[in-house]
Amino acid sequence: MVNDVSMSVDFAGIRLKNPLNTASGTFGSAQQFENFYDVSLLGAVTLKGASAVPWEGNPQPRMAEVFGGMLNSVGLTNPGVRGLVAESGAYLAGLASKGTAVICQVAGHSVEEYKEALVLFEELAPWASAFELNISCPNIAKGGAAMGSTPEGAFEVVNACRPLTKRPLIVKMGPVRVQEIARSCVDAGANALSLINTISAMSIDINTHKSRVARPTAGFSGPAIHPIAVRMAWEVCNAVDVPVCGIGGITCGADAAEFLLVGCKAVSIGTENFVDPAAAVRILEELKDWARSQGVSDINELIGAFEC
Amino acid sequence: MTTLSSAHKYACSVLVNEPLAQDIWRMRFSCPELAQSMRPGQFFNLAVPGDPSNILRLPFSWSVSDPREGWVEFAYLLVGEGTRRMTTMIPGTASDLVGPAGNGWYIPQNTQHALVVGGGSGVVPLVALVHELTQHGVSCDFVEGAATQNRVIYEDAITHYGAHFYLSTDDGSRGVHGFSTQISQDLLASSAAYDVVYTCGPSPMMRAIAAQAHEARIPCQVSMEKLMACGFGACTTCLVDTKNGRKTCCTDGPVFDGEEVLW
Ligand SMILES: Cc1cc2nc3c(=O)[nH]c(=O)nc-3n(C[C@H](O)[C@H](O)[C@H](O)COP(=O)(O)OP(=O)(O)OC[C@H]3O[C@@H](n4cnc5c(N)ncnc54)[C@H](O)[C@@H]3O)c2cc1C
Ligand SMILES: Cc1cc2nc3c(=O)[nH]c(=O)nc-3n(C[C@H](O)[C@H](O)[C@H](O)COP(=O)(O)O)c2cc1C
Ligand code: FES
Repeated sequence: MVNDVSMSVDFAGIRLKNPLNTASGTFGSAQQFENFYDVSLLGAVTLKGASAVPWEGNPQPRMAEVFGGMLNSVGLTNPGVRGLVAESGAYLAGLASKGTAVICQVAGHSVEEYKEALVLFEELAPWASAFELNISCPNIAKGGAAMGSTPEGAFEVVNACRPLTKRPLIVKMGPVRVQEIARSCVDAGANALSLINTISAMSIDINTHKSRVARPTAGFSGPAIHPIAVRMAWEVCNAVDVPVCGIGGITCGADAAEFLLVGCKAVSIGTENFVDPAAAVRILEELKDWARSQGVSDINELIGAFEC
Repeated sequence: MTTLSSAHKYACSVLVNEPLAQDIWRMRFSCPELAQSMRPGQFFNLAVPGDPSNILRLPFSWSVSDPREGWVEFAYLLVGEGTRRMTTMIPGTASDLVGPAGNGWYIPQNTQHALVVGGGSGVVPLVALVHELTQHGVSCDFVEGAATQNRVIYEDAITHYGAHFYLSTDDGSRGVHGFSTQISQDLLASSAAYDVVYTCGPSPMMRAIAAQAHEARIPCQVSMEKLMACGFGACTTCLVDTKNGRKTCCTDGPVFDGEEVLW
């Protein structure tokens, strides 16, 4: 192979083999993808959000396909931190030992619940490289986007969680007031940011006059949101100095490359994992091809290379 | 507890794709890996090419397969954009699928006599089941419920395998006028000899069959259809409410114990 490109990046003090990460809630507990490829080829995996106690989530139907993507109203169904660790801890420890960063996502309905879940993770998940605070789920009535949609709310959650771990804290942000919220997360001690979570949206069955999912609104993801996500990631990269993980509608190497160009140090594959379960490794190869085509020997030369 | 899916990603290529009945098409495709590994009641998630704005795979059961020749067949009801676009997949069209997914039907030890009830496209996974049952020497009564006589599917295969075939149509154009549940009720009342009941079809139908089986104290397996984003256990969109908590349809199911489902 000519001119092999170094793909390794530094993300909040974690050395990633490459910038490829997976978006929370679209990658299960990573194990589900071993039938499709060796998951340890990825730089990182981010797990489905987990809370201190199990959550049932929302009623059926919990998804609808829409133009250019899908709506989901899963509402953070999860077996709780203890359940997650019991089911997947051994596998995840093995994955971490192969040099793939395992990022555990923390969910809560209140500041107290975020703290409880983080304390449990801190104790039960020694293999986790970092924790991601989900303050942007649009599908739950309390917590999630209900707390993370203002700079004050975001600050409160991050500030309360910060003393509870020495490991890097990432904040998963929604598609609202991104520059202000990014700054307040960093002020409260966040080491990195990831965005965007799904966009709150609606789809209505015109014959029954009802929502196509069990709640009036649901989270929109998929290729249609990509240009919006790139714009928001660019704004955040300009506003703060911590590393940013770009998420939203990535289906191929070119989509991922746009996030790197605007300054993201990592990218997460979301809905595309459902469409092509082997997407993340394919996109890794496509990113390498792109880097070669740009004549660089290190992917870091392309991060933030956007000219305006 | 998370059940891990047995699904892999395989290439496939269309061999036959043609109308089978009114608004129902039959597709046969080549995919040796799937043909050799898939059990009755399992399903696969098919990528339907042709429209980049419509991205998700569609889940389908299978009816007939030939492991030696490496092909799999199923029938699909035209209900929306994706299934209509499937009719344009002419022989030779290449695509890929993710399967075999799910648990499949379970044949209890010493089963001798089975009642099998299918409604609409729910007949598909029962065709493969009846083939397996009859090969094991199980005698089968098969009840098919169709909307109308032009929508009856797989009657030939089912009778060819040696099952007794009973038919109901909603409009009375053929067979018993009404629902399959009337026939199953009569069969259950006239014979106490069934060891197991299997059903797949619209939810109200399966619910009624499960209640009849419960009444007759016969175990009943139901195959649930839920909207699925991934089909292999990664997204939790497909949950089924059961007496034992919420279960994942695409990995813990689609076949569930009729007693367990909270309808
Ligand atoms: C495990 C499993 C096995 C299946 N096997 C078969 C089969 O063998 N033959 C067959 O014809 N169909 C089968 N289905 C249903 C099939 O997947 C849907 O009909 C198909 O995905 C609809 O796609 P569409 O784009 O044409 O419809 P859409 O435009 O997406 O929807 C049209 C209508 O169909 C309903 N629908 C969509 N997806 C599903 C679904 N997954 N389950 C139930 N209803 C749905 C929608 O609610 C809507 O009312 C199966 C579904 C599951 C979950
Ligand atoms: C079914 C589903 C479940 C999701 N669950 C979570 C979650 O638990 N936590 C979270 O932060 N984001 C969750 N997301 C959002 C994704 O992580 C991602 O931010 C979003 O889908 C945008 O990326 P995409 O367009 O590539 O999918 C979920 C998305 C989907 C489609
Ligand atoms: S469809 Fe994704 S978990 Fe079942």
